[in-house]
Amino acid sequence: MENEPEVKKERETKDDGRYIIFYTFEDEEEGED
Amino acid sequence: MNQLRWDPTLREWVAYATHRQERTFLPPAEYCPLCPTKPGGFPTEVPRESYEIAVFENKFPSFAPNAPAPEEPGTSLTPTAPGRGICEVVLYSDDHAATLATMGERRIHNLIRVWTDRYEELGSLDFVDYVFIFENKGEAIGVTLHHPHGQIYGYTFIPPRPAKELEAAREYRKQNYERCLHCDLLSQEHEDGRRILIGGEHFTAFIPFYAHFPFEAHVYSRRCAPSIADLGAEERSDLASVLKRLLVGYDSLFGFSLPYMMVMHQAPTDGGDYDGVAHFHIEFYPPNRTADKLKYLAGSETGAGAFIMDVLPERTAETLRGKIEAR
Repeated sequence: MENEPEVKKERETKDDGRYIIFYTFEDEEEGED
Repeated sequence: MNQLRWDPTLREWVAYATHRQERTFLPPAEYCPLCPTKPGGFPTEVPRESYEIAVFENKFPSFAPNAPAPEEPGTSLTPTAPGRGICEVVLYSDDHAATLATMGERRIHNLIRVWTDRYEELGSLDFVDYVFIFENKGEAIGVTLHHPHGQIYGYTFIPPRPAKELEAAREYRKQNYERCLHCDLLSQEHEDGRRILIGGEHFTAFIPFYAHFPFEAHVYSRRCAPSIADLGAEERSDLASVLKRLLVGYDSLFGFSLPYMMVMHQAPTDGGDYDGVAHFHIEFYPPNRTADKLKYLAGSETGAGAFIMDVLPERTAETLRGKIEAR
């Protein structure tokens, strides 16, 4: 696994001001595992 | 309220976070705050219908980025300080019933990339001197939520146990021609072989010669990498494979999902030079000594700091290695 899949990092602010970060990986979007 | 109080007898900080008394305690699965928010359902911590891996600021943090000066002023002998720091929750999956052991290697590999990102981002904050990545799993450890997750603390100081380990490594290096303590320990374990659990290409899992818990396992980078951020893609891949095999082995030991504490030790982020001193590794401390008996930290362990073990690491390594190799 020399080439790692692209990762999408999305940072959002919750209603109370705390942050939440979502990590989405290209390989998992393809449904492989 | 987040506050630090100095214990001058042990020369260490104790953190007080009284609001944590109110935190959610073992809710039923349908009210899990770490599951995704479903249409028409109650709002959880995660405002999405699904996710892969997510990280958010703990609602009940032991430390807070903007902790105010403590109301209790302390004294010159026992000073206080703001309970400043960062506390994050890392959600491994949106599947409530999953554990790290049941996840595929790919998800574990991706989780390692998330841990790396958090180490780098939190470590870049000027007030964070140590990024501590850990997981408490199972009610025997005292978890309050079953959903698969870990935590990250960004401390404003190097906590006592890693500090003691770093001091030992620095002293060893000084007395042994600049050699790395952890590299030499790993070489010794490989030469002996009796306590090796998994020998990966880049990582080795073993029960240390001086284990403090019956099935305590350490996962060492074979290269002297100071932190998780120093690993390459192939090393992350191998680490995922070694972790998967170790965790599946753990769950095979007694026929149930084994509780454990998992902690990472690596280079502080205080701007110091830790090459050849810090050596990235992961330590697992499962409390079980048998299926129905736990290793308690009782009088000698808690009051004297002296661990008493009733089984040798060579014996437990043989048992656990058999379970790992049988899978």
